[in-house]
Amino acid sequence: MQIKNSKISIKSYLNLLELLNEYRGTHEENRLFALKHEALLQNPKKMLLAWMQKNEFRKTQTLESLSILQKLSILGNFIGLFSLIFGFIAGFGLLSYSGHAPVNVIYYLLFAMFIPLLSMLVSMVSLLSSGTVFNALSLFFPLHWIETVLNFFSFRDKVDVVNTLFSDELKKWMFMSRLQLFSLLFSVGLLFALLVIVISKDIAFSWSTTLNVSNMGFFKLLACIGFPWGHTLPSAIPSVELIEMSHYYRLGENLNTQMIQNADKLGAWWKYLAMVTLFYAIFLRFLLWLATRYGYQEQLEKDFLELDGVQKLLREFNTPFVSTESPKEEKHLEIVKESDEQVSHAVAKVYETIIGWNFSNDEILLVNDAKGISSSNISTVGGNNSFAEDQKVAKEARAEVILYVKSWEPPTMDFIDFLEELLANDNVEEIQVYPLGTVGRNYESDEREVAIWKRKIQGLKSKKVWVIDV
Amino acid sequence: MYSSKESLNNDYPKFAVVGHPNKGKSSIVSSLALDDSVQIGDTPGTTQVKRGFPLKVDGKIIYELFDTPGFQRARRVLSWLNDQEPVSADKKGDVVRAFIAAHRDDERFIDEIELLEPIMNGAGIIYVVDASKPYGSEYETEMEILRWCGQPSMAILNLIGEENYTEQWKSALGHYFRMVRTFNPIKATFREHIELLDSMSQLKEEWTKPIKVAIKVLEDLQQQKIEQTVDSIVSNMVKTLSYIHRQKIVGESATTDEEEKLKHSYREKIIKFEKEQEQNIESIWNHRSIEKVENMLVLDNVGLFSKESASIFGLSQQQLIITGASAGAMGGLGIDLLLGGGSLFLGSIIGGAVGGVGAMMGFDNLYEVKVLGQSIGKRELTVGPMQNLNFPYILLGRSLYHSSVIAKRSHAMRDNIDLEQEEFLTEQIIDSDMRKTLEKVHVSLRKGDEPKEEDLKAYKKVLKESFLGLL
Ligand SMILES: Nc1nc2c(ncn2[C@@H]2O[C@H](COP(=O)(O)OP(=O)(O)OP(=O)(O)O)[C@@H](O)[C@H]2O)c(=O)[nH]1
Ligand SMILES: [Mg+2]
Repeated sequence: MQIKNSKISIKSYLNLLELLNEYRGTHEENRLFALKHEALLQNPKKMLLAWMQKNEFRKTQTLESLSILQKLSILGNFIGLFSLIFGFIAGFGLLSYSGHAPVNVIYYLLFAMFIPLLSMLVSMVSLLSSGTVFNALSLFFPLHWIETVLNFFSFRDKVDVVNTLFSDELKKWMFMSRLQLFSLLFSVGLLFALLVIVISKDIAFSWSTTLNVSNMGFFKLLACIGFPWGHTLPSAIPSVELIEMSHYYRLGENLNTQMIQNADKLGAWWKYLAMVTLFYAIFLRFLLWLATRYGYQEQLEKDFLELDGVQKLLREFNTPFVSTESPKEEKHLEIVKESDEQVSHAVAKVYETIIGWNFSNDEILLVNDAKGISSSNISTVGGNNSFAEDQKVAKEARAEVILYVKSWEPPTMDFIDFLEELLANDNVEEIQVYPLGTVGRNYESDEREVAIWKRKIQGLKSKKVWVIDV
Repeated sequence: MYSSKESLNNDYPKFAVVGHPNKGKSSIVSSLALDDSVQIGDTPGTTQVKRGFPLKVDGKIIYELFDTPGFQRARRVLSWLNDQEPVSADKKGDVVRAFIAAHRDDERFIDEIELLEPIMNGAGIIYVVDASKPYGSEYETEMEILRWCGQPSMAILNLIGEENYTEQWKSALGHYFRMVRTFNPIKATFREHIELLDSMSQLKEEWTKPIKVAIKVLEDLQQQKIEQTVDSIVSNMVKTLSYIHRQKIVGESATTDEEEKLKHSYREKIIKFEKEQEQNIESIWNHRSIEKVENMLVLDNVGLFSKESASIFGLSQQQLIITGASAGAMGGLGIDLLLGGGSLFLGSIIGGAVGGVGAMMGFDNLYEVKVLGQSIGKRELTVGPMQNLNFPYILLGRSLYHSSVIAKRSHAMRDNIDLEQEEFLTEQIIDSDMRKTLEKVHVSLRKGDEPKEEDLKAYKKVLKESFLGLL
């Protein structure tokens, strides 16, 4: 998966746009991808292209925009060819020399220089100006109308789709660079026509204008136009003599026979005209075309990075993925609802045995006092007692036993172990577990806490043991 | 997914959160690990096996927390340890290892082994107690066992109930732990979370650096979440306020029934946007189980389009006029000054000028309804964009409220949150200066234009500021 250059094409632009509509990856996946392509981290465009390549298979929908694009490019080729032929035909028309009236170089200059210069100027103005000016100016370009009409016929409904895929700015550059290309092709056609005619037949050039221009003045003008190649190619600048010779108005309405004889001399104009076409209509246009291609490419790359979702993707490439959760699923504990089973709602006044789990002797006496409970047999278990001590208490217990517990300390297995030993004592007839709250709350316990005790005791399934809930 | 070489590297700090059952061990882990999938429950023994929560950056573990079951037969464990041949202090850990090895198949000690194992694998001890309940000497058994392990340790006082026995606990714990900290997993703020980590970093010299790294990572993560939250709120604002609902119609013009139906589905759509936005925020803040909590926010009960919502989250008429006016609707008239006196009469006149009192307060004529395309033969009825001047503030107020509640919510929390109306007043959170910036964007969205880049930037900045103020 090597991405050699990071030049964004319209195809990759559309590809990414469509991919992002369907898939954007998670932060974890995207960061992992970026780490695997660490070398590309400095180059977001390359990174995006690589990401796109890797995830391209995820696209499920057919590439509608790509087919539209294909149609557009066929249309473009067609218009390009048309421009070339049109230029050629136009050139032929301009240079048609019947053998009677010589070709007026001024007409030719109009097409090969003045109009191209003017249209290049308009192009530049509209490129440098913002939206509305461009929109207004574009109405003057025939291409705009040709495209509009052709688009309408070739994919009526889809034009809208295409329009929404690109930003206005990008569409402007697209249009302008195509315009330059077609104009360039037109001029090539024109030059081609000139060369074909020069090769295939004699052609006489003349010049005439209603303006009062002297031969010398005209020469200076032409020399000025030919300045860019005047030094390197002096033969491609018409001489004063040639200009004088082909000044049309002097000849009157009728053709001068001498002039016909000098046709080949007059034909020396062609070098000049070819150079004018080559320089103004072709070379300058070519430069402008390159400039618009460049502008288009810049815009495309800018838009590429601004596609919806791209910024998020880039952020994810560059931010470390942090996870804090456990990778291990937890088996959730089923929580049983407590019932009223084995729950006693009254406390007796006298018990045969009082045992305090994790209570000191003094603490038990305080409880007895507060609750008005008495017994001759009081012992403590749990806490720092040894198991032998606890076992002795369990063995010696008899008849009704009340077992004080701290309601807020949930029953541990240590407690259950003791309770089971107590249950194993046949002298014990009944055990009442009494969850007591803190002294601060006058031993009053929380409902929630008592519920925990109830559930635990109910789980023992013994008829001998009860939980006091008063 | 990541290269196994790094995951195998065992050289990062580990901490085992241990203690008596039901004292909030899982709650603490859940809040520190920002993971709300941990089961937390009233029933002791909710956690049955240990579970590791690694903090990973690009797959590399920085530290790992372990949630463990509570001690169940601490006395038996300690008596086994004491029954072994006496050893010097540096060998006591080996005795604990011997205990684990000898009881691997003993059902009675499943919980103890689960909790001792990570400690014997090098984890620091975080002993959790509930300081809202009195201290009892039975805790000494557990602390004694932990002392046998010989690992760096600290204690956390968690206050589950209303009473407070902190002093009692502190003097008892002081005998066993060098460091005692108070941390309430349910109420802890982000700052407190970081402070606790900082304490943990001091347990062992080698841990200080990695934990400092972890703190930096978590702080960055917090910033990212804030940015993402603000981005998400802004994009929902833009999406909702510019939304146009369309529907083809058959007749020449729309019937009132068609119009009502369309208005209804327009509203439904916007409510759906809000719900999606809320879910997005919940996933940014890692609260993935929230939808399982019914009526988590009373926000769900106060419909987006209800009068109640407007009065809680919307601007007062006077504030609305000031905002509308200063944002250009009546530019340069010095409305703020005029309204300084608070003249209601003036207020209603200007209100009328700004767009009708109805457009500000009620929801009846809140959106434009148009029939389009009559000439081409395809008729389309459209509703939107939202014209009500107050609506953006209602929506924004709700989003800010919801996001701040979610952002602050501890991952240990499993209950509902109550909407406390007094606490939240859009007008106070977003002052009139801020509203000027916001209104620029609201105005262009109302017109159906795309807001300018720099306006959106300013919008985000204002939102971030007010969001930070709520955290
Ligand atoms: N109000 C309040 N309740 C808390 C707090 N911490 C924990 N609780 C509650 O205490 C109970 C026990 O919490 P857990 O986190 O499950 O306790 P645990 O230590 O993991 O319990 P086991 O896994 O059963 O050993 C739950 O009902 C919690 O909601 C706290 O800071 N405040
Ligand atoms: Mg737990």
